[in-house]
Amino acid sequence: MNRRKNAFRLAVFTAIAIAAGNVAAAVFPATPPAPGPAPALSVPTPTTQTLANGLQVVSVRRAGLPLVTAQLIVRSGGEMDPLALAGLADLTANLLSKGAAGKTAPQIAAAAEALGGSLEAAAGWDESAVGITVTTPKLPQALGLLAEVVRQPDFSAAELKRAQAQAIDELRLLLSRPTALASLAASRGVFGAGAYGHSRGGTPASLARIGRADVQRLHAALYRPDNAILILAGDVTAAQAQQLAQASFGDWARPATPLPARPPGKAASRVPAVLLIDQRGAGQAGVVAAHAAPSRSDDGYYVGTVANAVLGGSYSARLNEEIRIKRGLSYGAFSRLQPLHDAGLWLASAQTKNPSAAPVVELMLGEFKRLGDSRVGDAELAARKATLIGGYGRSLETTAGLADQVGELAVYGVPLDEIGRYIAKVQAVTPKQVEKYAKKHLDRGAATVVVVGDAAQFAAAIRQVHPQATLLESTALDLDSPTLQPVVGK
Amino acid sequence: MRLRPAALLAPLVLLTALASPPLAAAELAIPPIPYHQRTLPNGLQVISVEDHASPNVAVQVWYHVGSKDDPQGRSGFAHLFEHLMFKSTKHMHAEQFDRLTEDVGGANNASTGDDVTNYFEVVPSNHLQTLLWAEAERLSNLNVDEANFKSERAVVQEEYRQSVLANPYGKLFNAIDPHSYTVHPYKRPTIGSIEDLDAATLPDVIAFHQTFYRPDNATLIVAGDFDPKQLDAWVDQYFGWIPKPAAPIPQVTAQEPKRKKNLRYTVTSETAPLPAVAITWLLPPASDTADRIPLQVAAALLAQGDSSRLYQSLVYRHQVAQQVGADADGRVGPGLFTAYAILASGHPPAAAEKLLHEEIIWLATQPIPAAELDKVKTQLLTAELKQRQTAQGLAFALGQAALIDGGAEHVNTDLAALQKVTEQDVHRVLQKYVTGAHSVTIDYLPQPAAAAKTSGAAK
Repeated sequence: MNRRKNAFRLAVFTAIAIAAGNVAAAVFPATPPAPGPAPALSVPTPTTQTLANGLQVVSVRRAGLPLVTAQLIVRSGGEMDPLALAGLADLTANLLSKGAAGKTAPQIAAAAEALGGSLEAAAGWDESAVGITVTTPKLPQALGLLAEVVRQPDFSAAELKRAQAQAIDELRLLLSRPTALASLAASRGVFGAGAYGHSRGGTPASLARIGRADVQRLHAALYRPDNAILILAGDVTAAQAQQLAQASFGDWARPATPLPARPPGKAASRVPAVLLIDQRGAGQAGVVAAHAAPSRSDDGYYVGTVANAVLGGSYSARLNEEIRIKRGLSYGAFSRLQPLHDAGLWLASAQTKNPSAAPVVELMLGEFKRLGDSRVGDAELAARKATLIGGYGRSLETTAGLADQVGELAVYGVPLDEIGRYIAKVQAVTPKQVEKYAKKHLDRGAATVVVVGDAAQFAAAIRQVHPQATLLESTALDLDSPTLQPVVGK
Repeated sequence: MRLRPAALLAPLVLLTALASPPLAAAELAIPPIPYHQRTLPNGLQVISVEDHASPNVAVQVWYHVGSKDDPQGRSGFAHLFEHLMFKSTKHMHAEQFDRLTEDVGGANNASTGDDVTNYFEVVPSNHLQTLLWAEAERLSNLNVDEANFKSERAVVQEEYRQSVLANPYGKLFNAIDPHSYTVHPYKRPTIGSIEDLDAATLPDVIAFHQTFYRPDNATLIVAGDFDPKQLDAWVDQYFGWIPKPAAPIPQVTAQEPKRKKNLRYTVTSETAPLPAVAITWLLPPASDTADRIPLQVAAALLAQGDSSRLYQSLVYRHQVAQQVGADADGRVGPGLFTAYAILASGHPPAAAEKLLHEEIIWLATQPIPAAELDKVKTQLLTAELKQRQTAQGLAFALGQAALIDGGAEHVNTDLAALQKVTEQDVHRVLQKYVTGAHSVTIDYLPQPAAAAKTSGAAK
């Protein structure tokens, strides 16, 4: 009995165990469950108004959390740097908060930080911006502070000197990074002596040349209400935005003088097509390949956006697939398309151990070429479009991201309701359009290739494929020169 | 980390310490995060919070394993392993995680810290079920082959070169842990070394997964656009069956001894253009809330923003530094209080070191203006609110609280604690752990590459 009973019990246990095993196997499927119906993304609609003095006020509402990002954007940036004064627009933006309206630099920093934010200022190529993110109750004070630094900066000689020394040190840090230096040299190769070709952060020599009068002159010429946009994104209504803008910027006088003309962004290049820069002791090589691209107003803007997404816009895009995932040659290989007001840049970059720089150059050039030589498959295109659209939606989730997206549209004069058309326009791009776009723009000229690193480990291998490659010492580079080489030759 | 070299966990230490009832500092009522927490019979901890601000959902799995658990002679292994979790499993091919996230409009990544390894995705909310399946799959059915193992190890070695060798200050920050701990395995850098990575084998991978990747050593966090009943059913279905191993989970038991004297080390760099100096002190575990939060306030007073004390002294007034920082890095075990400066041109590390000490001693002993204390609380609160704008941000805040700071409830209670921090608290913790304790100082000196090495450069 006992035995039977035991046997019986044992059998029961066994049955349970088997059942449990079966449950696991049955419940845990071998293939991923299919997704349900896609949720809709709701994109907020910006409202724009223009004050009597010409200031464009844009507000875009995202309630939920009591946060607002405020940005004052001037529609002029590094492209307006005078020839010998690379870095002037960026230094000017940086100096805004270093003394204004009777407050010292430390007082302004303390005031902004007591509101919970910090004033962030910098010049891009086509715009200069100063912004702050605060909780909603602090917004009126934050805007008051923003107006003071934009409208009444001191630009004191002492602060200029301090900012110059800091900018020169920052530049030294930046240029010690191989990919940063390679990108700078490649931009010079694409834009040549054009305004977008210089170093927007300046060069040690140009920063040292900047005087107080230069900063004041740039500020007087460009920081004016009819050349500016105020963006308020977050927990704020259009009516509140209008009222707050009027209170802080309504009496900002518009000068009678016309705005200065923009210089051409691109001119002929005198940089070698393949440039190797020896940076002694570099722990890796920075590899960059760049092409010229159309401006922001080009009809093919969305086609270009999708083409770049296929080439190197994300982890699963072609460059990273070939260089990192398949071959383990880099921690990451990516590309960016940067369409500016007057011209554009399409730049691919990766860091790799010095001895593998040569194969990475060829893989990069090969992927650019493949985009124009063959048609992207439907599945690949759908996947990369989804990546773009998902990233776009997430960029709108924060007040700062929303302000950036709206600000970019405003700077380039794109109707603001374009923010709601992005998804449909990306979806409409076809494989044929991508191929045609790539072919057209890649055929216009060879890529500029720049490799920065310990050249002893890669120069010979690169020269086997590119015998014309030029080798320069990083210490001998002249970033102010359109040839990157000092005028007094070798 | 899989994509980004910057330490993802480090900034969270400061940002996630806060949350809860109305605040005087900001005149704002910050509602607590209404999270739910449960534990499955197999030990899996599940934390979730609904938030329909966007049609996205964040799925994160935090494993209670980090570089402190690297096997002997295998520094960097926990991090290498993290990369391999994106390779094949029984039912998924290599990189299928990217197909299930990026290709449908989502994103994924992962990071490895000293104490934890976290895998995080955000997807349109209709893909939640798929992601739960996929996370359960790689927890229970990892199946990496030799080819994938080798190519991914090469990627990790490139990550090492990029973050340590090719970053001008990478060698400094990588040297902080090795010089700051004597006994505790925190002394091994998370990224490891090329040699130890070379020594790793596929059997190591299988053993590590069996030892640490188990439901009772994991926390699943879901935040965003989902239905709670549906979530519970899917979690039960996909994770509930995974057996809990009988073997105990190995725990680090090493005790870091109190420092008996001040120590000093020198690290050199062939590429750094300017010298730097870093000073560290040992801290109690992050779960010591009463001390952690005043230490975070102290670090913010010292270094958060241009009005902070170190910036004002070293960068602005004396102009000896180009960059300054201070951090109260709370860990599951002993943490570190770190202050550092990258020098301005023409100044030696000693100039910055003297001022760093002066500012810390001043903060530890002299009155702190109420407005300054209030400023720092407002900064920390605003940063917390900014983080909560996204599903991913909410999930990170919960993970940090649950795994590092002593429990998920800290995501809310720490905010109230922050509001109550006084001048006396800041004085007390600085005197106890910093000015009254021993430091480790690292001088970081540029040393140009020897001419001999590159004189034969191809031209």
